[in-house]
Amino acid sequence: MKAVFLLQWRRFYRKPLLVVTMFGLTVIFVSVSAAGNQGGPQAVPLYADQSLTEREANDWLERLNDDDRFAFELMPESRARTLVADGNVGHAVKLLTTDYRLLVGREDPNRFVLDSYLRRTYSEELSLQRAEQAVPGIREQVESSRDNPPLTLTVTSRQGEEDSFQYNGELQLLFGMTLFFVIYTIMFSLVRIVDEKRTGTWSRMIISPVRKWQIYLGHLGYSFLVGFSQITLIFLLFRFAFGFDLGDHFWLLIAIAACYTFSIVALGLLIISLVTKPQQLGAVIPIIATGMAMVGGAFWPIELVSNEILLAIAKVLPITYGIEALTTVAVYGEGVEAILLQLAVLIGFGAICMVIGIRLLEWRSAS
Amino acid sequence: MLDTDKLTKKFKDTVAVDNVTISLRQGESVGLLGPNGAGKSTAIAMISTLMKPTSGDVRLHGKSVLKNNGAMRAILVVVPQKIALYEELSAYENLKFFGRIYGLTGKKLEGQIQYVLELVGLSDRQKELVKNYSGGMQRRVNLAAAMMHEPEVLIMDEPTVGIDPQSRNHLLETIRKLNREQGMTVLYTSHYMEEVEKLCDRVYIMDHGKVIASGTKEELKGILSEEETVWIEFDKSYPKLFEKLGQIEGIQHAVTDEHSLKLIIPKGARVLGTLFHEAERYGAQIINVNVQTPTLEDVFLRLTGRKLRD
Repeated sequence: MKAVFLLQWRRFYRKPLLVVTMFGLTVIFVSVSAAGNQGGPQAVPLYADQSLTEREANDWLERLNDDDRFAFELMPESRARTLVADGNVGHAVKLLTTDYRLLVGREDPNRFVLDSYLRRTYSEELSLQRAEQAVPGIREQVESSRDNPPLTLTVTSRQGEEDSFQYNGELQLLFGMTLFFVIYTIMFSLVRIVDEKRTGTWSRMIISPVRKWQIYLGHLGYSFLVGFSQITLIFLLFRFAFGFDLGDHFWLLIAIAACYTFSIVALGLLIISLVTKPQQLGAVIPIIATGMAMVGGAFWPIELVSNEILLAIAKVLPITYGIEALTTVAVYGEGVEAILLQLAVLIGFGAICMVIGIRLLEWRSAS
Repeated sequence: MLDTDKLTKKFKDTVAVDNVTISLRQGESVGLLGPNGAGKSTAIAMISTLMKPTSGDVRLHGKSVLKNNGAMRAILVVVPQKIALYEELSAYENLKFFGRIYGLTGKKLEGQIQYVLELVGLSDRQKELVKNYSGGMQRRVNLAAAMMHEPEVLIMDEPTVGIDPQSRNHLLETIRKLNREQGMTVLYTSHYMEEVEKLCDRVYIMDHGKVIASGTKEELKGILSEEETVWIEFDKSYPKLFEKLGQIEGIQHAVTDEHSLKLIIPKGARVLGTLFHEAERYGAQIINVNVQTPTLEDVFLRLTGRKLRD
């Protein structure tokens, strides 16, 4: 096993480009995007439809600026469009009487956060307006009650208070991009197994005194270690060099990284047992990696996804549990008890994929 | 030393190897001759324990190796038809790995690397990456990797496919040296008759998965003791004439090859007159006529009606 394991590192030494590229891409994506997200509230140009009076538009402006995360500014439509077109802002909002439209210049997680905020605010405001028609003066009562509530109800859940979704753009980016790019590193390193079977070096090892499980362990051990090292180094880099606040349980993040890496190694093994040509894998791996990342919450928080089908799919993807566990620890500051389920799912998922993958590979070899 | 007993391999409805029984004695060099698709590589895969037979047995010193293959794997090595090396690594690094998987370490590993590099004549280029080698040099490293643990039995699966004559000669000379000077047992498969004739003491001829003849080279050629081979070269191809000549009474087999015709005829048969007469009638110009002693190629032709490289 040691010989096979060491061989993989020697091959990495000769051809380090893939791993270095994936490491570099993660660092570049996270640091550049994080830099773009810094600097106070997000500026959002606002322009009104002709159906709204100036007063109504100003009322909306005041209502929307209640949240510190955004700085809405009312302006003519042409100017808002120019700002978006020039890339000075990512999004602009068009106010309608009972609805809004988003002008999207850049697809990024902020769009979902903005959309979610607008939807909630509009929903509340329109409900209040309808209620006001039936019961005049109710708005004042509601606002007064909101300021001085007769009863305070606090419901705590695993992730803090109910409906207390906390969005940390920096960490969302860091975790999402790290777990996304490491899929490439791990899966492309596993393609070596397919390549060895094609070139005949696998057969050479099989008829040597090395046992088959030792050959697999050598390969899988390398893939695990290279993926795990990538995640750990990136976390260390962003914590100490870039000053990201990764919470007080750094060791727990490393444990999550290990479980996630194991599940991706196993998933990779399952994929190479199903798709046996290196050229086909070159097409399949990016599809799987990107698909998993999109649905599993690597590109934007899964809390912003409302589609039931996508949420159901996300439940069977290891990246969902990886990001959920990392966020629970780093953003919500929870300990190991809060992520036991996620860790168990990652390990269980990995074990199942590995057993099926190895059995399929062996079955193919025999036939 | 090494025997197979009615070795058979079926893939769905195809019988790739059919009841093959062969034996290798210690220190001898045995050829497995047959055209592409004859079942040689499948037979080798089963002998080397890489593939399980559908039926039959492989025995080492009388003991079956099908369930316990450790003894076989310790003493046997296969030089595959493909270049089974890590091309992004150097020859030295490849050999180091293949030595390690056979348990070699330290000075013994280093010594063996230098020995096999010397053997295949690549000592001075051992640090170069395999992908930068010529096809012939890659074949030599392919052989060197197999020699790392000094195997008792060397199985070679068409090791000279696609290489230049110089590298081919070097490779054949190395194999001969290993067999004659070091007493290594060699099973050499090829569809190049001249290689098998040059290297091997005994030969098994395979076709369509079966061993159709076996024996020493002389015994096999004895199959044609009552026959001789007439080889006629023309200035160009004459398909109709070649067809006509093949039908002359007394000619047992006729094979055309571009401008030439090979005929197997009973010894002493007087066919040359008829041949010349027919050639003149078709206006064909004969450049060369040669009455040859039979080769293994002729034996194969006689047994199957086809050429080895058909």
